[in-house]
Formats: sequence, structure tokens, C-alpha cells
Amino acid sequence: MSFEEFQNRTRLFVVGALDPDEMAEFENARHEFGEEAEAFIAECYSLSEAFALSLKPARASDQIKARLMEMVKNRQAH
Amino acid sequence: MEGIQREESEALSQLYDRYNGILKALVLRVIHNEAEADDLLQEIFMEIWNQAKNFSAQRGKPLGWMVTLARRRAIDGLRKKQAYARAEERLQHETEQQPDAWVHNSTEEEILDGDRRVLIRRVIGMLPPAQQQAIELAFFRGMSQREIAAKTNTPLGTVKTRLELGLKKIYDGLKELRDEL
Repeated sequence: MSFEEFQNRTRLFVVGALDPDEMAEFENARHEFGEEAEAFIAECYSLSEAFALSLKPARASDQIKARLMEMVKNRQAH
Repeated sequence: MEGIQREESEALSQLYDRYNGILKALVLRVIHNEAEADDLLQEIFMEIWNQAKNFSAQRGKPLGWMVTLARRRAIDGLRKKQAYARAEERLQHETEQQPDAWVHNSTEEEILDGDRRVLIRRVIGMLPPAQQQAIELAFFRGMSQREIAAKTNTPLGTVKTRLELGLKKIYDGLKELRDEL
């Protein structure tokens, strides 16, 4: 796989659109291209960030944070 | 994120305040149910707390990591609850009312985030509708290329091309915007 093809696959990978057979090829190429591949993958996560940031933020119920912090507190206590 | 890795609960509290709106919107976009989205959001932040030690800044920014984690949890939740059929109905209903799924009414609050949102939507909005739809189904519905092909009655090769071209255009557009963001 060329690096250009790897770049195309990476963009599909970060949005979760690779089929299982492509995933195996992707992982092989990822290993083959090493650090260059990891740097490009990290850069491509800007795509998934952008899709999330394209949505109007939604407000969570006030109870959620209270429950979350309570769970964390309990976990730290044990 | 470093504070969370040191198990400082105040750091989680701050992270929650900063990102709960973005992550809730993402989860809601996937599962289309307010109460389920709130429950999942709590689980997601608990997982962020538990998995923070696995986060590495060298492999990307915290938001990208959290979005990936939240999206995966939301899609898993959707599948586990076998809510596809109900979500289909809701999505269909929403799509009829709002042809462009990425278009939402904005308010005056969070002006900075709003500006960023407008810029990102502008990049996405420049894609042909078929490319937008393919990306929407992959990212927000968790569909593989084969599933998208089956759902849209489109050859697999065409779906692949739409996704690759669409994502490359968005990626290139975001790179140009990076200074503005």
C-alpha cells in the first residue's frame, strides 16, 4: 500500500468506516510506515473532532455531573 | 487530562464542564433519545476517568480521544438496545423536517464555539449531498461501507469513492481553517 492510499484509509479509520478486511491491511501498513503513520493518524483525529464540533452543544441534566462526581468520590474512597 | 491521569477529581469536574455539551450533542445525534444520552454521557465520563492513563498526547488531542470514545460508546449503546428501528423512525422524521442533518439552529450563546461551528459546517456543507450522506451514515450511525452501500442502494465502489473524496476535502478544508480555529 502506498502512503497516499494509507492516508485515504486513515481518514476512513478515524470515522469508523473501514470494513474488517481493510482493517487488517490498514494495521499492516500502519506497522510498516511506523512513526510517520502514527503522526498522520493523530492528525486525522481532527476529522472526528470536527464532526462533533459541528453539532450544537446539548445540555446534560444537572444530575449527571452530581452522580458522576459521587461515583468518582466513592471509587477514590475504596 | 494530566490532572485526571493523577486522579484529581477537580480535573474531571473541569473537563466535564468544558466538554459535556459537545459530547452530549454527539451521543444524542447517534441515539436520538435524551434520557439514554444522559445515561451514556455519565458512563462516558466514567470511562474517561478510568481510561485516562491510556491517553497519550503524542497520539492526538484530548478532544479527539474523547470523541472517539464517546462515539464508540454511543454506537454500542444503540446496537445493544436494539434501538435501530426506533432511531430510524426518528431520523426519518428529522430528515423530513430538516433535509440537511448538519444544519441546526444556532443561538447567541457560546459565540466563539458558534463561529467555529459555522466554519466547520461551511467546510462540510461544500461537499456534494451524496458525500455528506455517506459520511453521516459512517460517523453518526456507525455503518461500514458495505452497510452504507446496502442502505443507499449504491455500488460499494461508489460509496468508497464518496467517503474517500468527502473526507479528504473536509480534512484539507480543516487544515486551511486551523489558524482561524
